[in-house]
Amino acid sequence: MMRVIKVTGDSLSPEYREGDYVVVATIPFFLNRIQVGDVIVFQQPTYGTLIKKVARVERDGDQFFVVGAHPNSVDSRQFGPIARQALIGRVIWHIPKSIR
Amino acid sequence: MIFKLFEALDKRFGFERASAHCDIPCGIYDPSGAQIAALTVVRMVDLMAELEAKGGAMDKAFANSMSRYIAVKEEHAEKAKHEIRVIWGDYIKPQHIEKYPQLHEVVHKIMQLGSKSRQTADRDTAVQLVDAVNQFAQIFWETKGVKTKRAKAPYNPPLEMVYPDL
Repeated sequence: MMRVIKVTGDSLSPEYREGDYVVVATIPFFLNRIQVGDVIVFQQPTYGTLIKKVARVERDGDQFFVVGAHPNSVDSRQFGPIARQALIGRVIWHIPKSIR
Repeated sequence: MIFKLFEALDKRFGFERASAHCDIPCGIYDPSGAQIAALTVVRMVDLMAELEAKGGAMDKAFANSMSRYIAVKEEHAEKAKHEIRVIWGDYIKPQHIEKYPQLHEVVHKIMQLGSKSRQTADRDTAVQLVDAVNQFAQIFWETKGVKTKRAKAPYNPPLEMVYPDL
């Protein structure tokens, strides 16, 4: 249903920063409605559990091209689009470490 | 307040982690490696000239020393190029280029002088390489808001170098 996850790394900085918490929805209701601009958590074979922003929805919603905000972000530009099966959840609540 | 609550819950239950992975999360960049490498190129050219000036026999001892100097010159000229390429490619951003429009030209000059330093034993070329790397270092520290100072290297060759004034 819901999972709380802590963000590590800075590829989504400055919006999401190291140490922030996010609440992700894992139910199909949310996962079936992923759109460009959504932030998703997914499993990547090489890098493990990652959090990135959706830049493109491909193959009628079966694949997502994800990117980070930082120029050095490791994302779909390196490892390709993410399959729907790799999805863990969609961020529905962001709890930043500090008020910006 | 809410964050503190989540933090306390995290300590108690240990939430999962999701990485916003970056290729280079450390952010550690420093042109000093390139400066020392460029200075080493000049030093090797000087040692080559000294060995030649001794006028001894062209025996295996001579060949051994000369080939070692040449190998180190090769290695450090390439290292200077590599170090600059990394900073240029990974650290330098469009806003830096906007503020320092000469930056691309300086980097290109370093690449050219680094190659020429490998191809030749010309001291002037090696000194120009040091100068160009110093120019890059000056700009680099300015982008970080760090003042610089110029001082002679405390070893041979005692060329003037750019150092961060910390």
